[in-house]
Parts: sequence; structure tokens; C-alpha cells
Amino acid sequence: MAYLTQPDYVKYICSCGQLKPITNLYFCRHCLKIRCGFCICHEVDSHYCANCLENMPSSEARLKKNRCSSCFACPSCFHTLSTRATLARDPAGGDGKPPKKMYYLSCFNCRWTSRDVGIPDQPVASGGWPERTNPFTTRFNQLLDYYKAIAQQEKQEKLDKERKKFVTRGKYINLTDKTGLTGAMARNIAGLPSSESSSSVISNFVPSQASPDVEELPDDYHLKEIDLKQITRISQRTSCPELQPSLASRLSPRPRALCVKRSQRCRACDHNLTKPEYNPGSVKFKIELLAYYHVPEVKIISYETIKPGGTSALLLKLSNPTAHEMTVKMLQPEDVPDQEDEHKTIEKTLEKSLNLEKDISWNASFPRRPPPPNAGSVNLPAVSLTLAQRDDAAEYDDEPPGDNDDIILWRKSNKLALRLKLTTDAQAKVGSNAYFSFALQYSYRNTVPPSATVVQHSDHTLYTTLILDLGKVCE
Amino acid sequence: MALYEGIALIQEKQAVVLDLGHDYTKFGFTGEAAPRCIIPSSFWSPDEKRYKRVYDYKDEDELYENLVHMLHLLYFRHVLVNPKERKVVVVESLLTPTLFRETLAKVLFMHYEVSGVMWADSARLCALTLGTNITLVVNIGALDAEVVAVVHGSPVIHAIQSGPLGAGAVSAELARLLDEQHGDTLRLTEHVLEDIRVRACFVPGRARALTLDQPGTVEARAVCVTGPERVLTVGGRARERAAEVLFLRDNEMASLPDLVLKCILQCPIDARRELAANVLVTGGGAALTGLKARLAAELRHLVTLPPYRSSLHSLQFSFHRAPCPDSSVSWSGGSLAGAADGGSRALLRDVYCRSRRLRDWPCLLHTTPPDHHHWAELQC
Ligand SMILES: [Zn+2]
Ligand SMILES: [Zn+2]
Ligand SMILES: [Zn+2]
Ligand SMILES: [Zn+2]
Repeated sequence: MAYLTQPDYVKYICSCGQLKPITNLYFCRHCLKIRCGFCICHEVDSHYCANCLENMPSSEARLKKNRCSSCFACPSCFHTLSTRATLARDPAGGDGKPPKKMYYLSCFNCRWTSRDVGIPDQPVASGGWPERTNPFTTRFNQLLDYYKAIAQQEKQEKLDKERKKFVTRGKYINLTDKTGLTGAMARNIAGLPSSESSSSVISNFVPSQASPDVEELPDDYHLKEIDLKQITRISQRTSCPELQPSLASRLSPRPRALCVKRSQRCRACDHNLTKPEYNPGSVKFKIELLAYYHVPEVKIISYETIKPGGTSALLLKLSNPTAHEMTVKMLQPEDVPDQEDEHKTIEKTLEKSLNLEKDISWNASFPRRPPPPNAGSVNLPAVSLTLAQRDDAAEYDDEPPGDNDDIILWRKSNKLALRLKLTTDAQAKVGSNAYFSFALQYSYRNTVPPSATVVQHSDHTLYTTLILDLGKVCE
Repeated sequence: MALYEGIALIQEKQAVVLDLGHDYTKFGFTGEAAPRCIIPSSFWSPDEKRYKRVYDYKDEDELYENLVHMLHLLYFRHVLVNPKERKVVVVESLLTPTLFRETLAKVLFMHYEVSGVMWADSARLCALTLGTNITLVVNIGALDAEVVAVVHGSPVIHAIQSGPLGAGAVSAELARLLDEQHGDTLRLTEHVLEDIRVRACFVPGRARALTLDQPGTVEARAVCVTGPERVLTVGGRARERAAEVLFLRDNEMASLPDLVLKCILQCPIDARRELAANVLVTGGGAALTGLKARLAAELRHLVTLPPYRSSLHSLQFSFHRAPCPDSSVSWSGGSLAGAADGGSRALLRDVYCRSRRLRDWPCLLHTTPPDHHHWAELQC
């Protein structure tokens, strides 16, 4: 829970330059790089309804406009509507017949019901609810056919021109060329020769007719009492883009919008980083390359107040989430070797078969912000620390406390507590953010063989830079 | 040929139309009559732990991040399709700053890898929804009101009029009037002001507006608006006067009807009559109760006054109704434009990647004829 509710005191620098807590990061096992939601490619994996947890194939979802066919949302407060049953007596007074069960939709949150807007009760519990159609559809389709015909005509003209080797198009655009469509329309209207006899769609089209009359408010409108409950709020209007009703009596139940499960892909190598299970009820993943499972995690245990020019103690906890022993060394961020060359060779071997043309220029277009300025430096021990592999069973063992010295506070299974010293700059402003950063060099055993022929593990030395947020600089 | 084209059309993924307004974003598929979603142009920023507006940016980098977040929300929470390999129709104002256009292009092409983008100006798209040859589009947006004459498919660039007379101006005036009424700075949030503006405010007719300042005029009825924190009494004064800012004619001649007439005045003489006879008032701000009627009355009155009287006095004003709600007219135009030509006008991704340039109106590179001597000079 702490991960969700607390501010992020420890942030990692993603390979794209974004600062994220470890829980928001991915780790590509193929590029051996940290990735984040900002620099990976998201894809729609499957559609489902979050209310009835029903899956919907993508093709069906497209047909149903991404809406569930059995769940409805309240048009007033957007809560899910429930179906309620009543016994209806036959108004004709037929005595022999038993009362029939009738259904209506009701909101348990705001008490809105489908009866409020005059929708008749339905004899079946699901389905059959009248759908309010878009009153503009007919006109819109007329317009669409008209412009399609014009675009077609223009295309034909262009082809004819090319065939005649008439003129090559200039390098300049004219005003009508920016979207083009209306240019063809203008030519058509101006009566310029069109090669085809204009189709019936074009000749039958009637443009909108303007009217000098605009609906005026009644003269005594300002004296009328208005019931604001009958006038919709803007969110109620926008929730129904087709009609945008301004009166509450025009609201109608809206089929609930579907949700999607997403899969995530590394942009550099196109491998999946996460792939969810198809079942909407499951929160598990088929592929789950999260940094939390691969990168050493750093947590702050405690620290002394940060004062300008002073030194303070800092207690950190390091843990190794992998199933292999890990050697960790702490470095100053500027001592991290430039990994670009190494990265390129890995990429080349990995991607030979893949499309090498794939442009990596998106990398250049990313805003790469410099990390925030540090308030001082962390005095780092020059020793390498070894972290045991994660062993869930060891959690329950009563382990004797491990080796203690002036750096290692305690050691338990795959975890290690460190005592470090911080030196704050004398110039650090009181009240400014106390950020400290350091880098970790860690060994990583990749269990994914680089190709089918090699069945070996490969060991790598990787780096990651962290930023600790230690509150404010104090007096 | 026709058959082959048919197949190509089926294989091409349905393009999406993006109208990133200042307050609300409209997003959906081409060829559909209405957008799939209309949502506030803001997103949850986990770093800053608040809802952040897309237009709330200091530099290009921040805008880039804002746009990435906003588009993620639109694609994966609302329209539920992959952005990759799909074309986009971007609805924009002719006055969109270059920084915004270029950053949006970068985000769409580089970050989301869309296959093509068609840029279209909202005025022309609004005109598309009518099918008329000559249209005067009065777009009352969140911040600005823009008046653009669209004559035979081209906007008359030099006649474009724009002023800070959008819904925001009405909200600001409403806040001032409410403070005055309660004798206190209420510090109402934008949401509350918007809610009051949309539900309680109205624009009085011209006859009533003239009597507003006269003694003895009966004030409009007050209403109580239930806000998230309290119930607020909105006096009649605030209800009917908030939108008067749009019609204030100080010496600057910067009122909404002035913008309309100035635009007509700067248009070619033979188009003026038609422009006045084909006015389309759109935009989220146009939905205010009584606004269109009042604008019509003011226009008819104003043409009889100098400086318009001499050249415009004989104009007859007529108004169109678009086949969609006011706030999504330009979106619907984008949907028509995108569906009609099948995206053949779009700027393709590979073309963009090579040159990293967008066509723009004021750019000489795009408007210089190929035989002009400047090209030769550029080459050496
Ligand atoms: Zn990243
Ligand atoms: Zn459902
Ligand atoms: Zn409800
Ligand atoms: Zn990768």
C-alpha cells in the first residue's frame, strides 16, 4: 500500500530521462534497459466491460462502438444502472391474467430511473431498451456522400490530366490545396469543366438553407422561474456527444463504455514488456517485465535533517529481487560509464534479423530533461556488496544477523541495510528541495538466451541512477 | 481500378479526428456524425498530483509531455484503438501558434507513429457541414471568438477577425458580478463558474438589454445553484449581464458584432452580400441561451451605424443551423473531410520524417511558385 499512497521518495532515471518510482518502471530483458510508460509503445490487447467482466472480440467492439450491450450508465451521475422489476397490472382490467413482471432501469447512486424520462418499462430484463438515434445522421450521410462523390470526381480529373501529360503540379500550394476537398467543390460550383458528367449525388445535393429568423427568447424570459434540476450540467451534455441534451428530460441511459487491457512493447527491440491474460477477471500477466523484479530496489529507512554545509547520516535498504546472487556497487552518477557503445553492439546482435531500418529518431524527439540539481553529495563506500538471491522461504527463517561493520547495518536474506553519510553543499538554500543522487552498478544474470542455439546464461554489468528526495533543506 | 481502390479503402484503418480545444477535446472516427468522446482537455499528472490542462505549458518539452498524456487518454481510455499506422485529422484554428502545431506533429508522428496527419482549419470544416459556397463562420470558443469568411473553399486570410470574446470572457464577467452581488471575493473555481454560466445565465434580447441600466427596470429572477461546497444565489443581474461583455462597444469597436462586420468589410465586395446571408454561429460558447438571437439583432442594428452604414447598410443577415450540436461543428466537418477523400491529402509519416516540416500559411517556402528566382538563389 505504501507504494500507492506515499509520495515517491526514491526515483530511478529511466533510459529516456524520465524520473519514475521503481513500481512504474519496466525492464527490457532484451535491451537490458529500464523503460517507462512514457518511452514504450502501448497497444490495445483486448476489450472488456469493467462492469459485467465480459470479453468482447475487437471486431464486435468496433461494431458496437466500444459499448457493452448489457450494461448501462446513468446519464445523470454516470454510475452503473441496475435493472429493477415491478409487477404491472394490466390497465385493461383483465382479471384472469396474473400481473406481468416489468423492468426498468434505476440508479442506486442518484435515484434517476428510466421512468423519469418516459421510457416505457420493458417485459424482458436485458436488452430491448429503446436507443435514442442521432437526429442528424440522415443529413450527415447526405453530406458524406456528396463530398465522397466530389473527391472521386477530383481524383478522376487528376488521372485524366496525368494521362494527357498536361501539367506537372507546382511545388507551391495554393490556399485551397491545404485540404483540397473544398477546392474541388469550388470548381464544381464555379461551373468549371469537369470531365465526368457530374453524378446524381452531386447534382441532387441541396446545401443548407439559411434563415433570417433566429429563435428568440420570450420577452418575459427573465421573469420565468427556472428549475435548474431540469437543465443539464455540461458533463451530462458531453457524455452524450450526439445530442448534447440541454434538458434533463432528454437524458437517456447510455450503454456502458468498454475498457481495454493493454500490452506494452519496447520501442527499441519490439519485444513485449507486458502482456495481460485474456480473462477480464484476471489481474495476472503472461509477460511481466517489471523493473521491480529485475532491478535492485532502494528504500530509505531514515535520515538526519539536511542542513547547509553539514553532514547527515542516511540509512538505506537495498534488496535483490532476482533469483540470482547480485553484486552491487555504489557510484557517483557522473562515474557511470557511457553505455551507448555497448548498447549498440547488443542491439545489433539482437536486431540483425529485425528491421534495422526502424528509425530510432523518436529518441531524439523526446524531451530529455536534466535531473533536478542535487543539494549535496552522498559519500559512497568503495566496496562491492553482495546480495543473496530472493528466497521467499527465507522470509520465515530466523536468521542470525549477518556481518556488521560501519557500512552494513544489518543483512537479512536478500536485503541489506546501509549506513551512509551525506554532505550538504554550504550554498544549499534553506527551504529548497533536498535531492541527492547516486548510481548503482549491479550484476544481472539474463536467463533469456539471446538466440535459440545458445542455451547459456549471460552475465551483465548494468547501471542505474537514483534520486532520493529527502524533504527540504532545513535551517 | 474501382475494385482495387475499394480493397485499399477497406484495408486502410479508419482515421481519427482530433479537435484539441482549449477547454474540451473532441475525438472520434472519420465518417461518423458525432465524436466518440468530448472530454475536458486535461489529464491526471502523477508527478504533480493534480489534473493538468494540456494548454498549461511553459516550454516545448512540457507541451510535448502534456500532449503525450492527453493522447494516451484519448486513444486508450476513450476510443480504444492503437494509434500506430492510423491516420489523424487534426482540426485547428488558423491562428494556432507554430510551436503548438509542430509539437503536436512531433508527438503524433514520432511518439505515436501515426501513418499520416491531415491538418485542417476549423472555419473551413465548419463550412463543410453546411455545403454552402460562401459562409461566414463565427466561432465562439473557450477563449477567443474568431470570425472567418470562407469563400468557395478558401478562408479569406486577411479578413480574419479574432478577439478575446470566448466563453472565458463571460465566466470572468460572471465572477466579477457575483463578487459584486455578494460583496466578497468568492474565488469560485472555473468549474463552478462554467456550471452557472451554462445553466443559469442567458443573453437578454436587444430590447431588454437597452433598458438594463434604466431605473425602474425589473431585475431578472435569481436562482440558487448548488455547488460542490455550498448553495450560491445567483442574482438576476449576474444571470443576464454576464454575457454583455461580448456586446460592449467601447471606442475600440471590439465587440462580437463588430468583429463580424469588420470581417465582412474586409472581404471582396462581391462576396459581402452572400456572406451576410450565410452566417454560421458555432463553438462551445455559442450554446449560451439567447446568444444567437441577440447577435442577429445587434448585427442588424449595427449595419445602420457608421462606419458600416456606408458600405454594408443593405446587407440582409441569415443564419444557418449546422447538422450537429454547436460545440462539435468543426469536429463533424473534420469527420466529413477525412472520410470523403480517404486520407489522400494527409502528410505521410515518411515524408515528415525526411523533412520535419509542416506546411504553413505564412511560410514563403510553400507559397513561392516553382519558377520564381528565389528558388535558384536558395540552391546556391
Ligand atoms: Zn522511459
Ligand atoms: Zn457490461
Ligand atoms: Zn445516477
Ligand atoms: Zn527492448
